Amino acid sequence: MSTALYPLASLSQIEKTPSREDGIPFELEEDLRAYGCKFIHEAGVLLKQKQVAVATAQILFQRFWYVTSMKQFGIGDIGMGALYLASKLEECPIRMRELINVYDLLLQRVSHRLTSTSSSLQHRPEFKYIPMSYFGSTFYDLKDALVVAEMQILKRLGFNVHVVLPYGTLVNYLRVLGLTSREDVCTRAWGYLNDALQTPVYALYPVPTIVSAAIFLTTRHLGISLPSSPENRWWELFDAEWEDVWSVCGYIMRLYRERDVKTQKSLWGMLTKKGVRQWLEENTSSDSNTQGS
Amino acid sequence: MSATPGPSTPSKKRSRWDADEDNQPPEPQLSSKRRAKSKSAKSETPPVQTLPHAPPGRPEPTHPRHSIFVPPRTLHPTLTPSRSVYCYERLNAIEEGSYGVVFRARDKQTGEIVALKKLKLDEEKHGFPITALREINALMSCKHENVVNIREVVVGDTLTQVFIVMDFIEHDLKTLLTVMPSPFLQSEIKTLLLQLLSAVAYCHERWILHRDLKTSNLLMNNRGTIKVADFGLARRYGDPVGVGGLTQLVVTLWYRAPEILLGATTYSTAVDMWSVGCIFAELILKEPLFQAKGEIELLSMIFKLLGPPTSTSWPDYQSLPLAKTITLPPQQPPQLRQKFPYLTAAGLDLLSRLLTYDPEKRISAREALQHPYFSESPLPKHPDLFGSFPSAAAGEKRRKPFDSPSAPARAADYKLLTEFDAYADAHNA
Repeated sequence: MSTALYPLASLSQIEKTPSREDGIPFELEEDLRAYGCKFIHEAGVLLKQKQVAVATAQILFQRFWYVTSMKQFGIGDIGMGALYLASKLEECPIRMRELINVYDLLLQRVSHRLTSTSSSLQHRPEFKYIPMSYFGSTFYDLKDALVVAEMQILKRLGFNVHVVLPYGTLVNYLRVLGLTSREDVCTRAWGYLNDALQTPVYALYPVPTIVSAAIFLTTRHLGISLPSSPENRWWELFDAEWEDVWSVCGYIMRLYRERDVKTQKSLWGMLTKKGVRQWLEENTSSDSNTQGS
Repeated sequence: MSATPGPSTPSKKRSRWDADEDNQPPEPQLSSKRRAKSKSAKSETPPVQTLPHAPPGRPEPTHPRHSIFVPPRTLHPTLTPSRSVYCYERLNAIEEGSYGVVFRARDKQTGEIVALKKLKLDEEKHGFPITALREINALMSCKHENVVNIREVVVGDTLTQVFIVMDFIEHDLKTLLTVMPSPFLQSEIKTLLLQLLSAVAYCHERWILHRDLKTSNLLMNNRGTIKVADFGLARRYGDPVGVGGLTQLVVTLWYRAPEILLGATTYSTAVDMWSVGCIFAELILKEPLFQAKGEIELLSMIFKLLGPPTSTSWPDYQSLPLAKTITLPPQQPPQLRQKFPYLTAAGLDLLSRLLTYDPEKRISAREALQHPYFSESPLPKHPDLFGSFPSAAAGEKRRKPFDSPSAPARAADYKLLTEFDAYADAHNA
């Protein structure tokens, strides 16, 4: 058992993230964090990488944005850097060339979507991947970005890249609550833990709180009652506090809300820091004008 | 985080910190970080004090008592970027290994003397080296009295400059053994071995294999405490072991367990225990046990000392990848007793349990700590009663001909202390 404690964001880091300092609204930052994590997940699937490495990468990615602004680094680059780093941490390293090929494919897919959604969805031209040339500059550019991203993650997190995943804890808690025989409960709670990887909660709350939230959402949805009278609340057994559990539930449920096409499309454009800067220019100029006058 | 330098590309530029002594630190950035750090620490200390001592009566409904497995959130470290290497003032180079240079340095704020290990990152084709990651992670998760303490990881001007900051320890056991006029006493060997075993047990319980235990990686301070250092080959173990199994290119030859020599890819904690056995023998002999030039010679030395393995002493021997390529010498009795004529029966028993062929039967660190050897006379000596020695790493000893000849005075007080030890030991017995 590793007793070394994993780092969590401090109160001041949570109250004002570097991205928000730079003028990125709370909701947009949350959406971009989730989008970056989906991007890591997609790359992980294409690389047939182990889930532990993908989850570790997503947690490192979430931590990174408590010490760095999205104006300074792109979520795509940092996502790939996190996946590359996490694969080493979980003793399943991937080849840089393979990761870059996958990253390039995903980037092309995004830019294809960006250019084609303007025409109607039915007549979208089919996506065709154009492999990069072996010695072309694309490879070396992406490689440089990847190396820088990995190093920046390490440096800005002070080389403390200790991550604890929640799955073992979930199994234990479900056992304690006598819910292991309900396959629907296990699957659903497990799914919430995986979805929570797209939210910042793993950088904010200890694992027992997050697992309690996953169980809470599951039992509410499936109509299973657990002791929750004021003097006898089941989550207190797992050292979770109600406000925290409720907050984690909020983070998870916000993932599922509908986004309109315009928001979705603007997210695709902000995979790079260039896109984020452009968005900031377009959206904050009116604010600064009103302030100036 | 606007204070930290932006995305700089890795370059081969040498750090100014390496090159010259009088460097200008970026002061304002530093102080602001310090302030932030101390502020957060201050605001987070009170719950630490109160929560573990919560009264055993009715818990407050809003603040549940925490189990020891779920410490309060405030005990978790915060996300803190690496500080700059300019927080330290370079003193002297201690050693240069294949892996990196170690400097002695002084913390400019606290004045503490530390050891800075510079990682070699110049020719990396695979980003940040996995070995360095393993070393940093292993050190961070093994906080133990007998493991060298990692303070932080600091960075230089460019992305290729990374330094591990550790407590500075005066000696390494290897150098000490060669300069000491007489070997360690049995009581001292027991103390050192107990410390080593408790460090190894601690690492193994945290799923870390050291994979390079040897006397030159055991540091010792002037207060009789040894610290396991150099986790450069360490890694996590467990099930599954990871892609491609474990490498055989680990552990300095003389301390390498037979299963690695024979090509096992799924070895475990037992490889460290074999090394502990070699170190135990070295402390007694004052020289390494197996000084072989190659792997074949090493195997034949092991076979000679312990007698060749049999199907009862090592049932899995034949299934090891390289076993077929080795012709075993004819059976002959072990020579362990002849090699260590003055060791007690219990001591010899412990040594032979450490140097057991079958990794499954080899003694574990936890078991070894309970061995009768440590409870028979002479009892382990209290670390405070150890002599102090001139530190080669701090430049206190004559290392090169042109160094100042300050050694004789120190050597004299060393002699005095060892004589005192011998005297005390004789009276204890």
